[in-house]
Amino acid sequence: MKNNIRLYKFSVFLRRLLIWLLLFGFALLFLLPFFFLFTGSFKTSSELFTVPFRWFPKKWSLNNYRAVFTKIPFFRYLRNTLIIVFFNIIGALVSNSLIAYGFARLRWPGRDKIFLIVIATMILPYQVTLIPVYIMFTKLKWIGTFLPLVVPGFFGNAFYIFLMRQFLVGIPRELTESARIDGANEFMIYLRLIIPISKPVLATVAIMSFMRSWNDFLGPLIFLASDKLYTLSLAASMLRSNLDPNWELLLALGAVMVMPVLVLFFLLQKYFIQGITMSGIKG
Amino acid sequence: MAKEKKKKVNPYKTSVMRRKEARNGLLFVLPWIIGFLAFTLYPIAASLYYSLCNYTVIKPPRFIGTANYRALFHDATFLASCRNTLFMICVGVPVTTVVAVSVSILLNYKKLRGTSWMRVVFFIPTLVPTVVACLLWIWVMQPDTGIVNTLLRYIGIQGPGWLSSVKWAKPAFILMMIWTCGNAIIIYLAGLQDVSETLYDAAAIDGAGFFKQTIYITIPLLRPTILYNVVTLIIGVFQWFTEPYIMTEGGPSNATMFYSLYLYQNAFSFFKMGYASAQAYIMLVVAMLVILFLFRVLKFGETEMDS
Amino acid sequence: MTLRNRRALVIAGAMVLSAAAAYSASADVTTKTVHMGDREIVTEVVDLGISGEFSYWSCFTGDSATWDQERIDAFNEAYEDLGIKCNVQFVPDGAGINNGKLISAISGGTAPDLLITDNPTSAYQYAAEGSFLPLDDILTEIDLKVDDFFDGCKDVMYYDDVCYLVPQDTNVILLYYRPDTAEECGLDPENPPTNLDELNVWADAMTVATDSGYDRFGIIPWLDSGDDAFVLPYIFGANPYDSESGKINLTDEQMVKYMTWVQDYAAKYDPEKINAFTSGLGGMFSPDHPFMTGKVGMTITGNWFSEALRQYAPDVQYKVCPVPVPEGGRVKSSTFGCNVFAIPYGTDEKQAELASLFIRFCEQGSVNEDNFAQWRSIPVIDAAFDDVSLTKNGDEMYALEREIANSPENGIPALCAVSAELSTQFQTVRESLIYNTDLDVTEELQKLQDQMQLQLDTK
Repeated sequence: MKNNIRLYKFSVFLRRLLIWLLLFGFALLFLLPFFFLFTGSFKTSSELFTVPFRWFPKKWSLNNYRAVFTKIPFFRYLRNTLIIVFFNIIGALVSNSLIAYGFARLRWPGRDKIFLIVIATMILPYQVTLIPVYIMFTKLKWIGTFLPLVVPGFFGNAFYIFLMRQFLVGIPRELTESARIDGANEFMIYLRLIIPISKPVLATVAIMSFMRSWNDFLGPLIFLASDKLYTLSLAASMLRSNLDPNWELLLALGAVMVMPVLVLFFLLQKYFIQGITMSGIKG
Repeated sequence: MAKEKKKKVNPYKTSVMRRKEARNGLLFVLPWIIGFLAFTLYPIAASLYYSLCNYTVIKPPRFIGTANYRALFHDATFLASCRNTLFMICVGVPVTTVVAVSVSILLNYKKLRGTSWMRVVFFIPTLVPTVVACLLWIWVMQPDTGIVNTLLRYIGIQGPGWLSSVKWAKPAFILMMIWTCGNAIIIYLAGLQDVSETLYDAAAIDGAGFFKQTIYITIPLLRPTILYNVVTLIIGVFQWFTEPYIMTEGGPSNATMFYSLYLYQNAFSFFKMGYASAQAYIMLVVAMLVILFLFRVLKFGETEMDS
Repeated sequence: MTLRNRRALVIAGAMVLSAAAAYSASADVTTKTVHMGDREIVTEVVDLGISGEFSYWSCFTGDSATWDQERIDAFNEAYEDLGIKCNVQFVPDGAGINNGKLISAISGGTAPDLLITDNPTSAYQYAAEGSFLPLDDILTEIDLKVDDFFDGCKDVMYYDDVCYLVPQDTNVILLYYRPDTAEECGLDPENPPTNLDELNVWADAMTVATDSGYDRFGIIPWLDSGDDAFVLPYIFGANPYDSESGKINLTDEQMVKYMTWVQDYAAKYDPEKINAFTSGLGGMFSPDHPFMTGKVGMTITGNWFSEALRQYAPDVQYKVCPVPVPEGGRVKSSTFGCNVFAIPYGTDEKQAELASLFIRFCEQGSVNEDNFAQWRSIPVIDAAFDDVSLTKNGDEMYALEREIANSPENGIPALCAVSAELSTQFQTVRESLIYNTDLDVTEELQKLQDQMQLQLDTK
């Protein structure tokens, strides 16, 4: 009897260990590209190409990072990126919360059909709209400014609307109903009652909007006429020379671009996971 | 239904309130309506017109009817791009889903300690800027110096040429897709939280093991979540552009020529805006069908309020 | 990263401008010493009686951008007194020519006054679409004599006998081979192959097979010829496009010879294996290029590759010779690869004149010297070779380049109103023939020819 229990316990332990090891191995595989990014960014060009693959650089040299900061106006690109990111976050927070409120907490004819259109725009290939939109921006004399990358952010984004709407729908109707019966202005209900309890989803939208504008490549490429306005995403294409891809520098730049996002993630992990979760569960 | 009830109680008051509510609703969504008209509807209409034209941007569009659409179905590269996209949907999406679901279920395995850091590990690849991820994966997939083949060599397998191979280029992209499936894993984990513990306990009493529990309890209850993630993935595959653009430019031998990439090429490398617009429209129709299917058949995204 | 980027940085087209200046009434030419980088150069300054600023899109990035900036600073210093200034914007991907930025800008009226691109094939299509300004009058006004340019360069300059593009330099294609490998395989490195049969003999001799794959190939026909799909067919004697009749011709004997050669090669060795064995990251400019690692004994590419070898494989011995051709091919000839200047349509007359001064400035030998020496690219007129330091120092390879550059058979193939797509699609067909060795060469080429001809006719 005792033996059986021991055996059972052992088999449970063994199974757990097995699962844990499996996951552990898999997680390590997921980490490998990061490992490569960071070690590679310290390697010299010829070390990168050494066969067989060398796990660590012979000498941990900061030369690549130094080159990234001197060969391109890194801080100018960073500043440009941050300006765009900042306004995108503001725009996303203001517009999407308003719009989502309209979809989630107010009833009006045709609402659900229009919401279907909102969802549909999520999968609209941006290629369909690119050229007409570009010509429109040209006529507005916006090309060569940050406006084309910032202004559309103030008119809502389908995914954020969806995300926020899912959250707002979950708030009990009673919460706002009494205020409404008391004759409270709808905007005040939104501002005083809804916004304060929406902080988690707002944080998520802020983070996602940050990610989006931080990573955006095609937008800046098409709309920013001058390299003086260029962002970090474009830095990669400015860094590699026409002849030489400068791989070691690209890796260093990649590391520099990944770092702030990772830091941000570890600081705001909770909101991040929360938001992603919310986007899924109501599906 | 609820509305009907209220109407009976006090038709006049309710209708005033409802009118007010409707007005407010429209006011709140006004930014979206303006944005939609300016940045979506007008461009879509313009593109529809272009799709019926020979349009090179430089010269004004010349109306040619449905010639672009007809030409597309005789265009070998276009058909290849459809096949490749379909392949990714039929093979890449299921494979990624199976991996993501398995990882999530294992991560969720009760009484397993030391997994919270793993969740983070599985998630952070999604934080890497696409441009950087692409540059990185070109390296990871290198035949000689790449990590994947280095690891394979350790276990005695000579890895393929991956991105330079007709057979292995798409699988290489699937591997990358798996690497960036952290979003899905997080969502699955959340879905798993909702599965009631008592169900498992009951099953355990009936003598069902972990495997059986997974098949008969976990997976069925996870179905809506799986659907959501699959849809997200499919949408992603339709719009897939940056990765093949940076990593393979569609090669070798069109093996990685995906729908959006060929569309972009037609528009911006060959200046066939009309032709590309036609492509975009076909894509739009297919996408709409998918969405309608989800709404009608699977009740995805339907409003739960209206109480 | 793409192969077409390779031509960058280089300038040539050293022109002897001072000699016969002035039938142009308005041009008033003086000379001035200015700084370019850390050296001083003598340049001509042309006074057209106008002043102002103009915008310029440069396709150069990385180190090449640094060099272009030096050139612009020198120009601005030279023209400071006249109140003329060039404002540069660095626009990757061929000055936006490959990614839709330029076309959007031209249609939106925000295009620059001047641009330089490393993709002459797409630039030519832009010209054919009417996106660039005709330059003949302006070139006369600033007294830039393009008549003396190599005839081969003129292929890209003129569309319908109107000049739209001005090359700043050109490059030639050569066969690179490793003499040590040749010797090891019992071949005479002093007598490289001169025709296709000999090339095949060399290739076979150099190939080393193992049980599971290969240790070395003699040559891989499609290595290094990625984006410039028509380079080898042209040298092999094909004429993919006839501008006289407006016909695309992908099915002539020489083209079929080329494609059959490629396909036979693929059939003989497994293309999957070849590509896994040789695929490199950075194209030409990385230490894992198969020629540098000894995975191939020979490769066909341009003069710029010598710089890659100098940087990444300084110990590798190499020699060059003209590309061997089959019967009916263009012996001791080459295609020309150019960086070209263009002025977008819609630029007003004065801005165009200001911009043209920069073109003229960049054609000077004194501005180019550093880059000739580094990249071994060549001027666009023969006489200018004499002033290049490589010629003065008796450099053997440069002498060979000059000899090849003077072949009357040189040219830039397949330039037409659909050249960008033609080039891409041709490459796709070549790849599908490589990977599907049972496909019929002539049939596939005929299909593409019909498809592209239809597009050209409906333009």
